[in-house]
Amino acid sequence: MAIALDRHNYDAIARAEATRRKGGWIVLGVALLVSLVWLAPFYYLIVSAFKSSTEYAAGHPLALPQGLSPIVDNAIRVWTDAKLGWGLVNSALYGLVGASVAVFVAAMAAFGLTRLDFSGRTFWFMLIFSGTVFPFQMYLIPLFFTYQQIGLLNTRAGMILFYCAICVPFPVLVLRNFMAGLNREMDEAARMDGANDWRVFFSIVLPNAKGPMLALFLLQFTWIWNDLLFSTVLGNTPEIRSVMNALQVFQGAYTSAGPNIAMTGALMASIPTVLLFFILRRHFMAGLSVSA
Amino acid sequence: MQSRQWITGALAGVAMVLGISGASAADVPLYHDKGFWSQQFQVVGDAAGEKTGVRIVQNSYAPPEQYKAFVQSSIASGSPPDLFTWWTGQTMNELVATGQVAPLDDVWEKLVASGEYDQSTQDLFKVDGKTYAVPFSVARWVVLYNKKMFADQGLSEPKTWEELMAAADKLKAAGITPFNATVQEGWRGFIWFSELMIRTDPEAYKGLFNGTVAYDSPAVEKVFQLWSDMYAKGYFTDPRSNEEPQDFARGKAAMYLIGEWGEGLVDAAGLKPDADFGAFIMPNMDPKLPSAVVVEAGPMVVSVAGKEKPDIMTALNFWTSVDGANVWSKASGNFIGNTKADAPNPTVAKISADMKTNNTVAMQRWWEAVPPDLQGELVAELNGFLLNPTMDNAKMIMGRMQALNADYWEAKQ
Amino acid sequence: MSALSESDQKLLERIGTDRIAMRERKTRRRNFATALLFMAPALLLVCGMLLYPVLFNIWLSFTDWRKFKGLDTFVGFQNYKRLFGQIYFAEAAFNTMIWVVASLVVPVILGLGIAILLRGVRFENAFKNLIFLPRVLAPTAVGVIWFYVYAPTGLLNYLLSLVTGETVSVGWLYQANTVTPAIIATHVWQTVGIVMVLLLLGLSAVPRDPVEAAQMDGAKPWQTYFHVILPILTPTLVVVTIISVLAGFTAFDLLWVMGSTYPSQRTLSLVVFMYFEAFQKGGWAFGGAIAVVIGVLVLLVTWIQALLQARAERMVR
Repeated sequence: MAIALDRHNYDAIARAEATRRKGGWIVLGVALLVSLVWLAPFYYLIVSAFKSSTEYAAGHPLALPQGLSPIVDNAIRVWTDAKLGWGLVNSALYGLVGASVAVFVAAMAAFGLTRLDFSGRTFWFMLIFSGTVFPFQMYLIPLFFTYQQIGLLNTRAGMILFYCAICVPFPVLVLRNFMAGLNREMDEAARMDGANDWRVFFSIVLPNAKGPMLALFLLQFTWIWNDLLFSTVLGNTPEIRSVMNALQVFQGAYTSAGPNIAMTGALMASIPTVLLFFILRRHFMAGLSVSA
Repeated sequence: MQSRQWITGALAGVAMVLGISGASAADVPLYHDKGFWSQQFQVVGDAAGEKTGVRIVQNSYAPPEQYKAFVQSSIASGSPPDLFTWWTGQTMNELVATGQVAPLDDVWEKLVASGEYDQSTQDLFKVDGKTYAVPFSVARWVVLYNKKMFADQGLSEPKTWEELMAAADKLKAAGITPFNATVQEGWRGFIWFSELMIRTDPEAYKGLFNGTVAYDSPAVEKVFQLWSDMYAKGYFTDPRSNEEPQDFARGKAAMYLIGEWGEGLVDAAGLKPDADFGAFIMPNMDPKLPSAVVVEAGPMVVSVAGKEKPDIMTALNFWTSVDGANVWSKASGNFIGNTKADAPNPTVAKISADMKTNNTVAMQRWWEAVPPDLQGELVAELNGFLLNPTMDNAKMIMGRMQALNADYWEAKQ
Repeated sequence: MSALSESDQKLLERIGTDRIAMRERKTRRRNFATALLFMAPALLLVCGMLLYPVLFNIWLSFTDWRKFKGLDTFVGFQNYKRLFGQIYFAEAAFNTMIWVVASLVVPVILGLGIAILLRGVRFENAFKNLIFLPRVLAPTAVGVIWFYVYAPTGLLNYLLSLVTGETVSVGWLYQANTVTPAIIATHVWQTVGIVMVLLLLGLSAVPRDPVEAAQMDGAKPWQTYFHVILPILTPTLVVVTIISVLAGFTAFDLLWVMGSTYPSQRTLSLVVFMYFEAFQKGGWAFGGAIAVVIGVLVLLVTWIQALLQARAERMVR
């Protein structure tokens, strides 16, 4: 599943070709140049987060920080002024609950769509999948207003409910394809032994779908973590707002925090998903190939 | 067994996190969009709790347009917040027209009778003869000036337009940028435009707001020419700074045209009122014009339903009281018009005295006076001018502003 | 239905087709009830939270809903008519098109270029990981970083000052002629990595035989790329196109964060324009109409791409 970039036959040939054909050093030089462009913003981010406001204003953007301690002050300011702590907790909650409920609900639906025979399955699938056809902008105004009316605006429950819903259709598509490929004789065997449909779902199909479900969970978790649009519209008090919303409110023109502080915020908001990515890289890549 | 316990625990945890924090019965929420004053609002809220048993809990929304959207939709659905901040002028008229905010004339009757508030302060919040709000700030728009820079150049407070320009020239010659102005937060573009309109042609200024004066008329063009010339002479700071009050405190400019609420921000940035900076009302270009100053009133309104709740009214009464006004002015540097309360700083008292001696009249701020539908778009155009202050750009901007303005008034008819 | 199972065969012999058909119908009905139970949560969530809002949105775009009132007043196509006369609409639509085209073409060309460049180079995987790295960050965080890269005293101006030897202080995100290209460049920085990985995935599916055969025949490298590899890559390119174009139409985060200081932020794209009209001005119905226009554009593009994809698949087979 994972992309083994270096293990394909074609690449092996290409590499053989390359050593024969290319002036190795020139290509390496160009590659280094390209990666410098890619690295510079990261470098800028890190050094800025370690500078105090006066230090940032005094030196040039690429200057190394004089010490490591300012990041603590910066972090404290981000924590108190932008209430980023709330943001991190909220986003973790939205992501964990939203993504796991959505993937589980999607697995149930996919089970119904693939492991039980009935007519009109395509229709029901299309009905669920149609949730991804429309651009997100079409949900905004009605949801905002409906949430306001039923008292879900600016509540954690409201945020989670929405994230659960928006994260359902895509996993249904993937899991439907996956479950359709699973051998159905296992089901029949279990049913022979007297298992009902729920049992078949829980003890046969779910365990087999663990891999793609984990990959989907990671994809959806990251999506929720990164979402700005909906958390801007549906949850906007400091206690409810997501981490990206807190970051945006902080950076925008609304507080005059310096670049060093806003970038510390950006760093803090990124760390969780970046860590997750590196720890679970293989599953992310699986998710990637699934989504393609 | 173990897993069941775990699930129960997790569910309890989720329920706790999901639950809206258990507000006690005597907590009164105050909704606002002034994130930079969140802590200050809460200081007053806590003081209210100690004094009256009714604690005000501030709820801040950002950015302002989201806040407006929240209030607008809550009114459309018939359940506005009990107590919230708003804007005066046409934005207020619209709100009152919904019939969902309560008139507070009975409250004001007592406030004025007690001698704590002037009738003129009440008038700031009147719509069609009824008063719909109490102030969270009453701020005059004045020029703050750096006393040390003025003293170093041998300058005193300018009394006429010529003196102001002479001071600017002298400062510029000494390598000091005279005026601080930015597009920070996206709404500041109108500040100098409206001030220059008032200083050159106050009647035309008023005409902008009822469609009788066009944004491409000669009076407006004159202002843009003046403004553009000032930019050409290097009178203004880099408009792209996001740290306007801090810039003034750091000495990037000698003068700073801002509402008096800005003094608290400058103070916090390290420049002390009276000791380090003073304030004056910008002189008129034509000395025959009456002395005038922009007065910005920040209204706090109560919904019809909120008016019926004793706790809300207790909170409101504390807010307007001498105690409440003192806590608020100490925390935020804001003056709310309670004449028996302490002035938040000496410059506020000084401006009040100046206004009395000069019979200064109050002008409405452009932001409140302009139709709300045009507000955002027109101010964006003005910001565009600050970033490219040439006459060519000004002509284009005037055209676009007038196109929007004409559209609006046409649709009104 | 696939072939009958063995037990069904026996049953068929015993009782005949009619009974089987009846039994089949009965099972299917029972199955349907069970399946509906399994699908119920998904259906409820999707219908209640996604499809109902879409219908509501279409309906409200025909009303006069503004600020505090008017949801009950039907005005027909008036909002749509107003839309096309609005002075910022054309600009927003134009910028959206630029954004869609550029965010598609540039990452694909660059991604392909970098993929080809890096193949066989020393430390190939380290380079690839580095190019992919920005993808891991949230667009909002990327926007914050690049907001300061482009700031008047930011990284880019500093580097330009070093190169030119004089002080450069361009407000990249403040000027109409630089703001869109600047934000697109940031978007490219973030997305080239994933496009590259997807293309490499596609490349890895290229069978070795035709490549070797082509080389045996003395084909030049570029001929190999154009005649052998590119056609095989077409399905991947179509997928990348779909993803990029849809993302382009609905892009919000970068434009919102990086455009926050640009005076005419509302003209950066249709999505931002809609946000301003609905949430800043309280023009709910008008904003709803813009959302419908975006929706129609997206559906149109998806439909065209579905056609293209079908054709591409036929081509490969």
